[in-house]
Amino acid sequence: MLRFDYLEARNLRQAISLLQRHGEDARLVAGSTDFLVRWRQGFWRPSCVVNIKGISSLRRITYSARNGLNLGALATVQAIELDPRIRRYYEALATGATSFAGVQVRNLATVGGNVCNASPAGDTLPALLAFDAQCNIAGPEGARTLPLTEFFRGPGRTALSTGEVLTGLKLPPPQPRTGSLYIKHSPRGAMDIATVGVASVLTLEDDGRTCKDARIALGAVGPVPFRASAAEAVLKGKEVTADLLAEAANEARNQATPIDDVRGSADYRKEMVEALTNRTLQYAFRMARGERLSFEEQRRLAVQTAF
Amino acid sequence: MADFQVLEQSHPRVDAWEKVTGQANYAGDVYLPGMLMCKILASTRSHARIISIDTSKATALPGVRAVITGYDFPQIRFGSGALKDRYIMARDIVYYIGEPVAAVAAEDEITAQEAIGLIEVEYEDLGAVVDPLTALRSGAPSVHPDLESYEGYGFTIEGGNICTLLDADRGDVDQAFMEADHVFEDTFRSQGINQGFLEPMACAANVEANGRLTIWASTQGPYQVRAQLASVLDMPLSNIKIIPMELGGGFGAKLRLAFEAFPALLSMRTGSPVKLINTREEVFTLNGPRHPVTNYIKTGVNNDGTIIAREAYTIFDVGAYLGAGPNSGIGHGLGAYNIPNFRLRSYGAYTNKVYVGSYRASGVADMTFAVESHMDIIAHKLGMDPLDFRLKNTIKEGDIAVNGSRVPGNGLEQTLAAIKERLGLPKELPDGHGVGIALCEWRSGTGPSTASISVNEDGTASLLTGSVDISGSDTSLASIAAEVMGISIGDIIVASRDTDLAPFTGPSGGSRIVYSQGKAVQMAAEDARDKLLALAADRLGVPQEALGCAGGRVYVHDNPPQGLTLGQLASASVNSRTGPIVGNASLSTLPYAPVFSAQAAEVEVDRATGQVKLTRYVQCQDVGVAINPMAVEGQLEGGAVQGIGRALTEDMLFDQETGAVRNPSFASYLMPLALDLPELETLMVRVPSEDGPFGARAVAEPPGFGPPAAIANAIYDAVGVRIRELPLSGERVLAALQGKISEDVAYIGDELDELKRAEGLVA
Ligand SMILES: Cc1cc2nc3c(=O)[nH]c(=O)nc-3n(C[C@H](O)[C@H](O)[C@H](O)COP(=O)(O)OP(=O)(O)OC[C@H]3O[C@@H](n4cnc5c(N)ncnc54)[C@H](O)[C@@H]3O)c2cc1C
Repeated sequence: MLRFDYLEARNLRQAISLLQRHGEDARLVAGSTDFLVRWRQGFWRPSCVVNIKGISSLRRITYSARNGLNLGALATVQAIELDPRIRRYYEALATGATSFAGVQVRNLATVGGNVCNASPAGDTLPALLAFDAQCNIAGPEGARTLPLTEFFRGPGRTALSTGEVLTGLKLPPPQPRTGSLYIKHSPRGAMDIATVGVASVLTLEDDGRTCKDARIALGAVGPVPFRASAAEAVLKGKEVTADLLAEAANEARNQATPIDDVRGSADYRKEMVEALTNRTLQYAFRMARGERLSFEEQRRLAVQTAF
Repeated sequence: MADFQVLEQSHPRVDAWEKVTGQANYAGDVYLPGMLMCKILASTRSHARIISIDTSKATALPGVRAVITGYDFPQIRFGSGALKDRYIMARDIVYYIGEPVAAVAAEDEITAQEAIGLIEVEYEDLGAVVDPLTALRSGAPSVHPDLESYEGYGFTIEGGNICTLLDADRGDVDQAFMEADHVFEDTFRSQGINQGFLEPMACAANVEANGRLTIWASTQGPYQVRAQLASVLDMPLSNIKIIPMELGGGFGAKLRLAFEAFPALLSMRTGSPVKLINTREEVFTLNGPRHPVTNYIKTGVNNDGTIIAREAYTIFDVGAYLGAGPNSGIGHGLGAYNIPNFRLRSYGAYTNKVYVGSYRASGVADMTFAVESHMDIIAHKLGMDPLDFRLKNTIKEGDIAVNGSRVPGNGLEQTLAAIKERLGLPKELPDGHGVGIALCEWRSGTGPSTASISVNEDGTASLLTGSVDISGSDTSLASIAAEVMGISIGDIIVASRDTDLAPFTGPSGGSRIVYSQGKAVQMAAEDARDKLLALAADRLGVPQEALGCAGGRVYVHDNPPQGLTLGQLASASVNSRTGPIVGNASLSTLPYAPVFSAQAAEVEVDRATGQVKLTRYVQCQDVGVAINPMAVEGQLEGGAVQGIGRALTEDMLFDQETGAVRNPSFASYLMPLALDLPELETLMVRVPSEDGPFGARAVAEPPGFGPPAAIANAIYDAVGVRIRELPLSGERVLAALQGKISEDVAYIGDELDELKRAEGLVA
């Protein structure tokens, strides 16, 4: 069916009941940037579309040193890119956002949509994973939370059941002596999907040399974006050296299970995982030691392009 | 430089206002009462016999007004050139995935789309061949088994899939290779490319009460579309009127008949106007792009760097039909160099892929990548500076070009000198950074050209030409007319045109409009001016030679206040003995006028990822005279951007089993965007051509030729690896850095031997 009914939900309760009522025939939309493409391609042909973009309470971004960062599901990617607190404390998320599509799409696309679309190449996902995001979910049965690591079930598949809505994401407060960076490898600087995306978050001990905590997440090299836990284990508790970072990068490469597609071969993607894990860790280390990289500099690093 | 009043000054486009405010009308903007929408059903098979097509369910869908298949058209094959190898819609056999099999006209687009889904086609698969090198081998499955019976077939070498061979020979090339101090061989491969125009193909058709057909088309060649449409519909050409609408880019893809015949026939069936707008996916899958090309080059050089022999073999994949020839590649196997002995061959091979189309002299871009990479390789192997090695061999005034013409004066050497100076060559760059150059050549395009200018009673002039503006050429044509007639460009009205109204002219392609059509405009304007002078001489009672024409007036040289305005003259002409003032011109071909462009790229290569970053791009072209410098710069920059995309990211991928296009979208076919590019530096030198309007040369084609080789050469300079295959992706560069790309230059050796044997060149 090419025709569908279009419904706008005024509040969360209404959204949930509409979704419940229409079940499998309904499709929730927020920014619709994925929806319209998939609809045109014929992958999604719902008979009813429920737009939640009008629910303003889901748009908020709040931050405090004690509670960390709360992203409403409808926060746009552009709002995340521009938020000074995110740029300051969650650099990899800001760089993920800035590497995303182009300004027009960033103004429409929501972080909730990026998460629920569950593309292995979603650009905000590696940083959200690396910052230990928790998902806030509301549904007919009430509210629940779930670590983002358990949210993705396969390309385009999530842990949400019928009638459930992702309402927001919660990121724990930033640790001192922490640096982070996301790098997206895509031949074109804007409006391109990641061939590989890597986010690394590195926290150092007071000595400024020993790795206290390391969290690395990989995009576009498996059915879902995921944490490279074996690579993280290589780093934890050890003094950071070039060799150690290289070893961790190599471990990340071993964890990647990419496929061949129009954007690159599996082999090349594995090479990229190693190169970009190493590079994100190097910069995260420098930033954790107090080096300040301007946002423009981070952006230049984050978007690996041909032009 | 001559003292110009209008030329050599930048003028905004005459159509800028309409375009910027969205008022310009494209074919998709045509709305007529009762208009139906057309959709196309595409083949899902690479090569198959059509057993049956059941359209009954589609026809029964409410809102559907007509369904047509290939059997509804006259059984007439047509072609882009002499060889007629193609039905407008599949009949009995489909030759590629994407080939139109049926079309629907319905009351709205969604209904038409739904009807398409209801058409049932039963196929019986025939063997498909996708790789052109395989297709060339004897014993390969035949794409067109009955090829020899096709009208216009004129080729007799063994090998069922060869549909065209172009050749050029001079001297004794085999002997020269034996005598040369060094012989170098390389094989290069360029990728499939899409023209990437913004406006998808679109057209509307309406059959008038008197049976005449009107087509609103998105086309570069209205007269070509008219002739081809008349042929496939088997109707008199004069029964068709083509109205070329504003064009949202074409780059060669819109030179010929596309799908205008579908809405045309549907309109004839229903009596209603019918419109078709392709989707982007259709642009990629059923409208001729460019296919991968393999170029093999062999060069004999003496110790002092003089080239004495060249052999070049092009294996050109034409897809299912010869939609455009490989011709542009062949003559360019020598590059911009004078080489006494050569053998050049260009083979076109059928495969079961979408048929090939034209794209801004794409064959030359492929060949330039090969020739200019090869030149660089030789220079390095001989230990010579790449620029000096080129200079030593450049073709010069008085030499005989590959096409047999004498080379006239030109600015080739100045372009190289300008690049050298701008970049400070030769120069050392830090590790990972490199600079590379490429020298490009093309000729100014000619072909039938006509123009008519009438002078209005208020002193303005109306210019009528049949050519479509794809590049700002209307503004340049108006400038030429204004310069001749001594009025301002704002006083020239460029008339909108159609094939009933305007005289026949060749298509807008091959860099021919300003050069050839501009010449016709110049001649027509001179004709009008001469008539104005004659009338003024008569009225003022002075000899014609005593008069000048400038500032909107005809005046007496010795006494400038004495004179008449063009408005006064035009008003007077209405009742004069000679009648209203109209200047006309008509011409066919102009002599050979080469165009040269030197280009240079600077890159930074990321050794960890192989990613190449273009940091600087400089080009210098001999433009003869810049009719409208702003427009010339636009052409140079636009061409370079297309070449940069070809060099670095653009890559049409075809499934190796089925020939289907794997990335039919701008999300996966990556063209550079405005924000991605470094500042482009465009320089011009001006050595006037002998025959172009005011000495102008063509400008549009060469800017796109240089980037692949210039960037490949810069990569070599930066990190010492040679990439012989486009695009120059991070993946390829990294593989080369890791030693995973073999330097095996003879990888088409077996195929070459077979081709040479067939021609009797070897035993
Ligand atoms: C031109 C273009 C370029 C793009 N470039 C990029 C890019 O560079 N990087 C990138 O990561 N993505 C890119 N995308 C994809 C897309 O923009 C993102 O995935 C975006 O974040 C989706 O958000 P949305 O609000 O538009 O989602 P929608 O299209 O509205 O929805 C997407 C999916 O998520 C579901 N959904 C949305 N919100 C919720 C919610 N709160 N609860 C439950 N389910 C929900 C919808 O039901 C739907 O299945 C691009 C898209 C386009 C069109």
